[in-house]
Amino acid sequence: MKSGSLGSYIVRRLLQTIPVILGVVVVNFLLLQLAPGDLATVLAGEAGGAPKEYIDQLRARFGHDQPVYVQLFNYIKNLLVLDLGYSFRQSAPVLELLLMRLGPTLLLMGSTLVVSLGLGVLMGLLAALWVRTWKDHVISVAAVIVYATPLFWVGLMLVLVFSIWLDWFPTSGMENVVAFHEGWNRVVDIAHHLVLPTITLSLFYLALYARLMRASMLEQRGLDYVTTARAKGQTDRKITTRHVFRNALLPVVTMAGVQTGGLLGGSVVVEAIFAWPGLGQLAYQSLFARDYNLLLGIFFMSAVLVVIVNLIVDVIYVFLDPRIRIG
Amino acid sequence: MNRRIVLALALATTALSSLPAMAQKSGGTLVQITQPEPPNLAPYISTSAPIGQVTAKVFDGLLEYGFDLKPKPSLAESFEVAPDGKAITFKLRKDVKFHDGKPFTSADVQFTIMEVLKKNHPRGIATFRDVTAVETPDAHTAILRLAIPAPYILKALSSYESPMLPKHVYGQGDIKTHANANTPIGSGPFKFGEWRRGEFVRLDKNPSYWRAGLPYLDRIVVRFIADASTRTAVLEKGEAHVAGLGAVPYNDAKKLALRPNIEVSTKGTEMISPIVELLFNTKQAPFDNPKVRQAISYAVDRKFVIENVWFGFGKPAMGIISSNFQPSGLFAPGIDFTVADRIERANKLLDEAGFPRKADGTRFEFTHDITPYGEEWQRFGETVQQNLAQIGVKATLRYEDLPKWLKRTYTDYDFAITSNFLFNLADPVLGVHRGVHSDRIRPGTVFVNGSRWSSPETDALMDKAAVETNDATRGKLYAEFVQRVSEASPVAYILEVQFPTVINKQFKNVIDTPLGIYGNFATVHRQ
Repeated sequence: MKSGSLGSYIVRRLLQTIPVILGVVVVNFLLLQLAPGDLATVLAGEAGGAPKEYIDQLRARFGHDQPVYVQLFNYIKNLLVLDLGYSFRQSAPVLELLLMRLGPTLLLMGSTLVVSLGLGVLMGLLAALWVRTWKDHVISVAAVIVYATPLFWVGLMLVLVFSIWLDWFPTSGMENVVAFHEGWNRVVDIAHHLVLPTITLSLFYLALYARLMRASMLEQRGLDYVTTARAKGQTDRKITTRHVFRNALLPVVTMAGVQTGGLLGGSVVVEAIFAWPGLGQLAYQSLFARDYNLLLGIFFMSAVLVVIVNLIVDVIYVFLDPRIRIG
Repeated sequence: MNRRIVLALALATTALSSLPAMAQKSGGTLVQITQPEPPNLAPYISTSAPIGQVTAKVFDGLLEYGFDLKPKPSLAESFEVAPDGKAITFKLRKDVKFHDGKPFTSADVQFTIMEVLKKNHPRGIATFRDVTAVETPDAHTAILRLAIPAPYILKALSSYESPMLPKHVYGQGDIKTHANANTPIGSGPFKFGEWRRGEFVRLDKNPSYWRAGLPYLDRIVVRFIADASTRTAVLEKGEAHVAGLGAVPYNDAKKLALRPNIEVSTKGTEMISPIVELLFNTKQAPFDNPKVRQAISYAVDRKFVIENVWFGFGKPAMGIISSNFQPSGLFAPGIDFTVADRIERANKLLDEAGFPRKADGTRFEFTHDITPYGEEWQRFGETVQQNLAQIGVKATLRYEDLPKWLKRTYTDYDFAITSNFLFNLADPVLGVHRGVHSDRIRPGTVFVNGSRWSSPETDALMDKAAVETNDATRGKLYAEFVQRVSEASPVAYILEVQFPTVINKQFKNVIDTPLGIYGNFATVHRQ
């Protein structure tokens, strides 16, 4: 594989995503129009009542007095120059709000991805190696239980046990707001706060990846190429690490790419429990406030994230399995 | 461990740097929980509940209030109402500086009231409607000129309701999308420090606050935690110290009160006076009949609702005006709907109204909409449903999200009965009139007269009470008004909620105004 072809592949893929993302934006825009009630009434409702003049004034300011197609056209026009609009409810530009939340979200997503993929693959691998022994059963049953447990319950129990009873970790938040650490202390403090949310969010995906990895390993082991390798006199250990493991990893990596969207959604719950300042919380709040500018911005950013992660997954394929060609 | 050392250091340094003779210890960080996160920090264009919990510490008002709702000096040292009630003269303090170092003058008062609150504040538009001008004869005198007397204005000048803004900051650019909407600059005891969205707002001590020696605290951090169980856990563990106005579920507040390090106070809603009510659609059968409405009001078991839905944090409402107005003489009870034979009375009223029981024991059915403010409202709806079943009325519950519910209730009037949450606020003119006055029947405007009931007599009583400057005379007008409203019962007033404020005992003096957590916390100190 030449690096030049990989580069042009990535560029081509990125260009292909533009209509996809535009489509997502248009569909979301139209769907949001179907929701009853608007930002002006919510703002007035939060204010505990307001005169009609005030509400009319708000509507005019938001541009909600214009026809829908005009609003859509304006939105897309602005989007093309990355102007995501202004959140009237939060009194700040949408892009600024999103970028503020992007860091914590990527941190939580990243650590979750590493923990769940790493441990999930390891568990699945071990279960497959110990197939039909008691160790395999323990791993498989544990995976099913974790998979079936609701996220919010796991989160609350972790807070109860590790935070309130044992006092090992803080209950919530991203850093200690009384101390306000700086430098390395701050990094340590954030890592300390990251532990419980990451475990909570990882458990579900860990179970998923472990089961998938186990099944995939077992399937690969029964294939012809393994028999061939064995006939060539390869050791079991080499067959597993060189051949079976790499091939078995492909479906898991695919699944991890597909699950990024789900990870964003699942993080709403975890962010709520641990007061983690990510995008999920923001999406939830803005939906209930009918803050469409902000919500569309979040959809846009999520779509971009998912597309990028899937592109990365496709590139990883090539390294895992040289038979897969790009293009 | 770490935190304790930092706090000890902070204490030591403040003790060294300032040595005024005071009994209270300076220093410390108070962590307050506010739920939900405020959308912005612009209390001059939005009265969204969480905003004021933060900004009342950053801005000052012209006045403050005691628990009897009587005004106390703040930015205004004194005020004088003209004999005809058409002018109010404020003498302003001369030593007040905004957080950017510029002095506070009468021009700021003029700008705030005329240019900002009267034009943009959701309630200010109504409160300051009759203010024709604010005159500034000198830098420290401001005269409000009124078209007609408006005594209630004197109740609406707290830092929460009418924050005084620096003209040289907020006068620049469009006030509605102002650059300082999220970085407020005021003259209050705390300066805005930082807002990390989704996490916290940090407020730092204003070292040149005009009240010498105050505030005691070095810092207030307002945290935002979306999950109710986590909020309770954080308070239990002492990671946060104050939470109020529904931030802690009522049953959790009860549990937390049992812990040795926590106290739960129900003071601090005297100027808010929230009332839980059932709103009838009086333009639609069967609730166009006052007898039916009275019957429903009798049927609701207020004591049960208070004990089991609001976990004891309330008392039965006696009418449209909250009993919090008792000290100011404006309170009067209406018909007593909590009498022992209320079920018999309700049944009798329904028989008289022409809704006899059918063969299956029911009289009629309707859909009961529920205020989408959280779980207790659902429990309330279920209780009402059971109460009404006793008198043969079948209710089906409907729960929607806030925008949908607001539209249904206040724009489309597409409801039969809905629960509702209306605040009496600091004066009946501000909080009570809107619920039943004919000039407040305005489709599309929320939290006004949604029952669409009114009568010329009650309108006249309200109009008179609004311009009357003598409290005793106002009290008499309101007594008659309350009676008439309860006879018509366009709304069933169920209970006055007394919001629990959960306070960590290491902090004292947290609730020292009738605005509770909307206070400025200047005198809060560590034990």
